[in-house]
Amino acid sequence: MTTENGLKSNLKEFITRKEVPVIVIILALLTYLLTSRGVPIILTIFIDFAVFAIITMSLNLETGYAGVPQFGRVAAVIAGAFAVGAIPGRILARFMDLPYGLDYASDTINFRVVPEINALLASSWLLSIGFLLFSLVIAAIAGAAIGWLISRPAIRLKEAYLGISLLAFGDFLMWVGHNWSGMVGGSVPIYVPDPFRIFAVDRFTVIVLVIFVAAFMVFIYMNRLARSPFGRSMRMIRDNDVSAAAAGIDVVKVRTQSLVIGSAVAAIAGGLYVIYTGTCTAFGFQKLTWTFWPWAFMMLGGIGSTFGVLLGVFLLSILRSMIVIFRYQWFGFLLEIGIDPLWLEFTLLGVVIIGVILFMPHGLVPEKIEPMLPRRNVRRVLERKNLAGEK
Amino acid sequence: MAPWLASGLIYSSGLALTAGSITMIYITTRTFNFAVASMATFGFYISYTGVELYGGAPYQYYPFVFLFGSFLGIICYFGLNRHLLRRKAAEITLMMSTLGYDLLLLSFIQMYADFLTHTYRLFPRRVTMNVYDFELFGIRAAAIILPLIAIAILIILHIFLTRTKFGVAMRATIENPVLSGASGINSDSVYLVAWVIGGGMAALGGSFMAMAMTGTPVMGMYTIPLMFAGAILGGLGSLYGGMLGGFLIGITEYAGVFTLSQQFGPWVQGYRMAIPLILMAATLILFPRGLAGIPLGKLVGKLTATKRGENT
Repeated sequence: MTTENGLKSNLKEFITRKEVPVIVIILALLTYLLTSRGVPIILTIFIDFAVFAIITMSLNLETGYAGVPQFGRVAAVIAGAFAVGAIPGRILARFMDLPYGLDYASDTINFRVVPEINALLASSWLLSIGFLLFSLVIAAIAGAAIGWLISRPAIRLKEAYLGISLLAFGDFLMWVGHNWSGMVGGSVPIYVPDPFRIFAVDRFTVIVLVIFVAAFMVFIYMNRLARSPFGRSMRMIRDNDVSAAAAGIDVVKVRTQSLVIGSAVAAIAGGLYVIYTGTCTAFGFQKLTWTFWPWAFMMLGGIGSTFGVLLGVFLLSILRSMIVIFRYQWFGFLLEIGIDPLWLEFTLLGVVIIGVILFMPHGLVPEKIEPMLPRRNVRRVLERKNLAGEK
Repeated sequence: MAPWLASGLIYSSGLALTAGSITMIYITTRTFNFAVASMATFGFYISYTGVELYGGAPYQYYPFVFLFGSFLGIICYFGLNRHLLRRKAAEITLMMSTLGYDLLLLSFIQMYADFLTHTYRLFPRRVTMNVYDFELFGIRAAAIILPLIAIAILIILHIFLTRTKFGVAMRATIENPVLSGASGINSDSVYLVAWVIGGGMAALGGSFMAMAMTGTPVMGMYTIPLMFAGAILGGLGSLYGGMLGGFLIGITEYAGVFTLSQQFGPWVQGYRMAIPLILMAATLILFPRGLAGIPLGKLVGKLTATKRGENT
């Protein structure tokens, strides 16, 4: 076999048929983005899409594959956001002889410290890239830690109890961030050092590219994970945990691992979002936005199917942004009785969840039942069996 | 009576009713009702609207609050829950459906608050209901009336469940839906009654809680973990356990925050949610079936047995 053939088959193995349409769509979107640059609304929609795509895929890993009712998705996002808001900036401040202790987050000092850090970051490519990577690693570690921590008391519980405990934990984490002003400023937003400052005018376009690349890598990773032995054992636990335990799968261990991986991925999304907005505040991370919206995305797309999840995020986040952007043109009549049409966002969320449950329980792209072995191998086994039968 | 105890009693009566509502709906229909959050907030807004527009004390609007909550429950049952129960949906699907209903109601609450602001020039986004309260025997009337109402509801429910024919049928359905169906009990009407009582209790609980805390459109959204904590503490098995669990969660929170802030200073206030959550986590770890699962009779039996052993 020549090296060229080897490369081809490697590539074939790396990018499967399912991922081709996603790649095409993403490339089309990105070309559109680069040709129509300077339109902030489109950039916002794109960033929302990519961030929520990562979060919803991580939710799909825990809920769709492992069957853990993750009603506390916000907890991991918060962990990533707080870690990026609190730690990397402090480390740089330490080396620049700026205040780095609890007073780093104080509102009278923070707005003077962060621009100095930004000036330093804007002066060096290496430092900017290093800062970004370090932030993401810190976010992932924080997310994994939180995922492990919440899995400890809760993982053995029955599904609904587990969901409630996760929900309560997410809420609690938000209140901690809101009240502990030494970490990320409490009720006052704190500024986050910006590693994209070096791109000056093109900052937003570059951020969109980076978050898209991150989302795409998560997509590839999720597909790999779903087809790995680990993915199969997760699905087996989801379908029937008793029979999975009988087959020798450590149920608690696999569930914990899925929570840790999912939380780390969601935390990376939280960190990227905080870097994109440039500020971090605890009240910005409500369960409404960061838990229930991803649930709606996932349910519309189809629980357990990564491609469907992407489709759900894409359709719904466009619809949601449309309501936010055109609310006065389309729903101006509500303003006449004093009602802000912004609330229609929640109406949409509720209607989507109810409608999907009642009329489309498996979502737009239902999960496909995949054979344990790749199709090629299954065919080979069948052929061998047929041959044996003929003889 | 100390001020913290008074507000604690009011707040825990509200939590008792909402946790009881969650338990009621769970034991009959297997549905973890998220919509309790918005039903409670709606209950608060009904009493607020009544007081603001027609005057008087908040208490005289409680019948309407209960009726409106029941109305919301009936809509949820006929629009959503019934179809899913017939389809034998999974517990998580049932829970998600009520979450969707809750978000729908939340958007209506926000719109209603906007409407009140615009049309009647009120300020419905930050309400302190206790300014409409009056004094009774030197303390806030709510601290006496609301626990009494909660106890009255408990007694009425007990009589309903044990003394009436329909109540007995309801208990039979809770114990064994298949068998009760086979003996001619219409489970549909049992579920409907559960939603009527549960919805009413949730709305009433919300209007109770607003007497002790600031009423906002997201009040229910922020307190829903505590309501669930109460129901879980009660073990999600019996109605009385649920109400007791809610009451315990509320009173522990107020007592804990009061004693701890005396010890460590007022910053403890910000982390008050930790107390009920720790209580819930401890319950889940130690007694996974809640207060009702604690083998009280066995424990007492053991103690008395050893005593008897010592005596003889």
